[in-house]
Amino acid sequence: MDRQEYIEFILDHLNNPRNHGTLADPDILVNGGNPGCGDVVTMYVKVDADNRIMDIRFEGQGCTISMAGASLITEMVKGKTLKEIEEMPYTALIDQMGEDVVKSRLRCATLGIDTLKGAAREYPSRQALGQKLIQPIVLAHTLLTE
Amino acid sequence: MVDYKHPDVLVETEWVAQHLNDPNLRIVESDEDVLLYEVGHIPGAVKIDWHVDLQDQLVRDYISKRGFEELLSSRGIANDTAVVFYGDKNNWWACYAFWVFKLFGHEKCLVMNGGRQKWIAENRPLSKDAPNYPRTPYIAKDRNDKTIRAFRDQVMQHVATGNPLVDVRSPQEYSGELLHMPGYPQEGALRGGHIPGAKNIPWAKAVREDGTFKSADELKALYESQGITADKDVIAYCRIGERSSHTWFVLKYLLGYPKVRNYDGSWTEWGNLVGAPIEK
Repeated sequence: MDRQEYIEFILDHLNNPRNHGTLADPDILVNGGNPGCGDVVTMYVKVDADNRIMDIRFEGQGCTISMAGASLITEMVKGKTLKEIEEMPYTALIDQMGEDVVKSRLRCATLGIDTLKGAAREYPSRQALGQKLIQPIVLAHTLLTE
Repeated sequence: MVDYKHPDVLVETEWVAQHLNDPNLRIVESDEDVLLYEVGHIPGAVKIDWHVDLQDQLVRDYISKRGFEELLSSRGIANDTAVVFYGDKNNWWACYAFWVFKLFGHEKCLVMNGGRQKWIAENRPLSKDAPNYPRTPYIAKDRNDKTIRAFRDQVMQHVATGNPLVDVRSPQEYSGELLHMPGYPQEGALRGGHIPGAKNIPWAKAVREDGTFKSADELKALYESQGITADKDVIAYCRIGERSSHTWFVLKYLLGYPKVRNYDGSWTEWGNLVGAPIEK
């Protein structure tokens, strides 16, 4: 794809976000954010007995690249185990978004995958205690722009 | 009722709409959201990315004189071209780009009141076509970091002598509370709080809901009520100098304060600086 096609791909995810919304009774509810940019994302995840992602939703607010990246990663991780997400290289996401397009905003592009990787690392220890990983939903966006 | 001190630096959306084909003028979009220009921009506008185009990618500093000349040549901007800046977030980055242009002495700099938000709200046309203007010769002045830019040692001296500072961040950042929010990174600063003596006047208090600047009367009252007056040497800061360039623009051009500097090191420098005094 050329640069313009990557941009169109990103804008399609922005305008038609995949897996957007919330999940009732998730096993994982985690926030991620770049407060300085006003980007924030909340991921809702349900996993099966093998810690494989059965369903996922996201909500968020932020720039074009962060929201498109969050939408894209929800598509990419369905059916993967949390271990596989931990080990997933960032390039798997960046290559699809076009490195040249997002290289100056890698923190935005990787907001969604970073949030999921953090959850994948933390969830097993919660699980061992018989707990879910549920964070309070915090919207940072207005804090920095008011 | 008082007027803006330098109303000539502010143009309205309607004025821009009537000057889209003015060969003596270049419209520049500068956004935080780096792909908004590609989503659609004012017809004929060029893009300047604050991160990629204005900053040195190795040293934390702005581009060199040669780099600035190359940037403006590539965008078809000559020394006598009037540049109209606009962008998202109520012209945060437009004011930042304006400020950097002033560091290099570009004379004719304007800001479109209300920015991208107002242009779109008025259903004005957007284009996805990136224009390709002929290169222009451009001779920049040596970058002048002395009159409108402040460095950390100067800020330290400023604090010691009791001169006023404006912290334009949100109250939560000013108080240091933001670093304690659960689940969020601390955005590169090891300490939270503010520079001693700084007044907290969030940048957005200078704009109305439609993104346009408040009246001179309102702005005067806003800053003077906190002791930020025209007779003083004022330094504004935020996190990396972007929101404070918006406040710098307001104080310098709309209210006409003669001595206003932007501390672009801002909290990402001060909050990491060993031994720097901090208040909460």
